[in-house]
Amino acid sequence: MHNILRLSVTLAAVAIISAALLTGMHNITEPVIREKEQREYLEALERFFPDINEYETREIEGDQFDLVYDQDGEKLGIMATVKTQGYEGTITYNLAVDTDTEIIGIRVISHSETPGIGDVITTDDFQEQFIGKSFEDPIQEGEDVDAVSGATMSTGSMINSIRRTVITIGENILDMERKAFALEGLADDVYRGSVEGTYGPLTVEVELSDGRIQNIEVIEHNETEAYFVDAYPEIPEKIIEEQSLEVDVQTGATLSAERIITAVINALEDAPESGSGGGDN
Amino acid sequence: MAEHNPYVDDLSRGIIRENPVFRLLLGMCPLLGVTAYFINGLGMGLATTAVVVASNVVIASLKNYIPTQVRIPCFIVVIATFVTMVEMVLQAFQPALYEALGVFVPLIVVNCVILGRAEAFASKKPVLRSLADGVGVGIGFTLALGILALVREVAGQGTIMGPDPESAILLFGEGFEPMGLFGQPPGAFIALGLLLGFANMLFKKLNI
Repeated sequence: MHNILRLSVTLAAVAIISAALLTGMHNITEPVIREKEQREYLEALERFFPDINEYETREIEGDQFDLVYDQDGEKLGIMATVKTQGYEGTITYNLAVDTDTEIIGIRVISHSETPGIGDVITTDDFQEQFIGKSFEDPIQEGEDVDAVSGATMSTGSMINSIRRTVITIGENILDMERKAFALEGLADDVYRGSVEGTYGPLTVEVELSDGRIQNIEVIEHNETEAYFVDAYPEIPEKIIEEQSLEVDVQTGATLSAERIITAVINALEDAPESGSGGGDN
Repeated sequence: MAEHNPYVDDLSRGIIRENPVFRLLLGMCPLLGVTAYFINGLGMGLATTAVVVASNVVIASLKNYIPTQVRIPCFIVVIATFVTMVEMVLQAFQPALYEALGVFVPLIVVNCVILGRAEAFASKKPVLRSLADGVGVGIGFTLALGILALVREVAGQGTIMGPDPESAILLFGEGFEPMGLFGQPPGAFIALGLLLGFANMLFKKLNI
């Protein structure tokens, strides 16, 4: 009995001393860490918005958005602090956009991507291709921005995250409306569209009649089969069911799913208006 | 001769004769994980040294108060305390290194070099000798990490003192295409194997 008591008391004493030491250490280092992060963030804010006077923080879906104002209270833009899943861990970055959602700059705060491969996301070469892109642009891999070969997971997830962030800022903060794709008024026909994937093109055939998408068929693809099965036929089914190209994309198959959607958009973009092409017989 | 001095003996044992990496093959996880860049390898070595020295001293001075039945949990708590402290200090004062080492900093807790020294040495020997032993093992571990990281960075990146572009020195000029394999985990195994081979050859020749 005495022995058990002694064991417990020893363990408890060691644990209590340890906890006390750690608390002390935490109190010393915590302010230093906070101050450093804050200072680096402010420096980035000043770099992206030289006329900054003050900012106001808003939180949307766990991400932080700072609305930046100049001396006259004029809105200069928005700085977002976003977390996204990379290849090996969480990537945290800042995205600065102006009041038209045009991207001013990107700053990767922390990441754990593979050294020499995935860490290209921190390079100017990769980041500069986003500058000037906005809400109106597709910001799609293979369309107007490029993933880096060998680092498709890291760069692809950055591209997708940046697009989502720009859309969030546009819709939720700047009250912009994304041009919905109008299906009505397009001539009945079967349209074909394709998009460049990681390993080759993905082509779809879209059957349109009465202003509705009747059928979507992927006639050619070079996606990784394991991921592709999660996106097909689920995504085409969703598009047909909702008659919309703004369907939710499940994680795990985001790349393939988004490629299918892009291919469908590409197919319908070339569709002529009904009546103009003699489609009314 | 100095060899009869137990402190010198304790100190030197960990560096060469019982080098945790070259002779005992302990602590392989951080060794392979963080040695893509010299700075990271060195930083990891120094962080581990700080922990092994501190835990050796504390465990040696507490050894008479800790009952044998609960010694391992007590050792682990002591080690984990120092690792967490090192982690906090790194995050506050060396954020770049902290970011680069990532999960391997908290993983120092389970580095068997440290618990090994606590169990095999510090729990049986006086405080000062444990201190010397901790310093020796720390230097030995840092040395091994540093050498491996240097080899991997030169071969895998073609630089020294990277990855920060401000301090990185390009060894072979701009057009050089480095052997990317050595920057990757499989390259770490290959480099470690070659290094162990050389070390063994050297030890044999010097008759250590």
